[in-house]
Amino acid sequence: MKPYLLAHPETEIGTELPALVKPEVTRMQLIKFAGASGDFNPIHTVESVAQEAGLGGVIAHGMLIMGFAGQAVETWVPRAALKKFGVRFSAITRPGDSIEVRGQLSAKEETEAGTLVKIKVQAVDQKGEVKLKGTCEALLPRA
Amino acid sequence: MSTPEDKKGFTFEPFSGTVEAGKIRELMRAIGDENPLYKYEEVAKEEGFAGIPISPTFIEAVDMWNGPSFEDLMDQLDIDLKKLLHGEQEYEYLAPVHAGDTLRATTRVTDVKTKRNGMALYKLETTYHNQRGEHVMNANMMLVKTP
Repeated sequence: MKPYLLAHPETEIGTELPALVKPEVTRMQLIKFAGASGDFNPIHTVESVAQEAGLGGVIAHGMLIMGFAGQAVETWVPRAALKKFGVRFSAITRPGDSIEVRGQLSAKEETEAGTLVKIKVQAVDQKGEVKLKGTCEALLPRA
Repeated sequence: MSTPEDKKGFTFEPFSGTVEAGKIRELMRAIGDENPLYKYEEVAKEEGFAGIPISPTFIEAVDMWNGPSFEDLMDQLDIDLKKLLHGEQEYEYLAPVHAGDTLRATTRVTDVKTKRNGMALYKLETTYHNQRGEHVMNANMMLVKTP
């Protein structure tokens, strides 16, 4: 599948890019993510520790949600073109939450090396709560 | 008395880790990302990579599996695990990183600020060089210690 901005080079600044809708986050996913990433902070996987920490239950790794955002970014720009990707975490995610990653083209500039694009990225849950906000930059090859 | 600001300039023991193809697949499966780019070398080559590349956030696995453990890291920064929040994370991609590459990472505390309410913000920067000495990535992280 061709990344959106390669398939649609005419996309204008301000345009909303196709959102990525993820299935509900599950406890099993948090266990898999702990093992894969190596982040074994027990507040993500052990209910009793999460309760003691006053979280009212296990919470998702922020980096899992950034991983969802990274997956969305790959659908907009080629992986090889990605130069920068940064987020600020603003709310916690719990099992049962459904995350949607939205993007908006915020800048586009022709340079000698190609087209430099900036995209505003946001991950929100089913209630519209923003989990993270960030930006990515990519240098698209000239068509 | 020691203050969070004392950690400014602190550099952690550098570490090295090899990027494993199976680990890339494992992380992508956990995220639920089925992109064939991270599974098949032919697809990666079609997209201009010399081998299977790492996903935008994969470098975390290199850190967590090869660097100090999470508990160690917090110990060295004097942060109580239960008071820690991950505030921000940023990656700069300078050159491709592929499965099979061995990276050497150095992490430094670039800034610490304590807010009036007692919250402390730690900025950490990690630089990554590959086996050929090429500077391939930077990671900037902000950790928040709640009062």
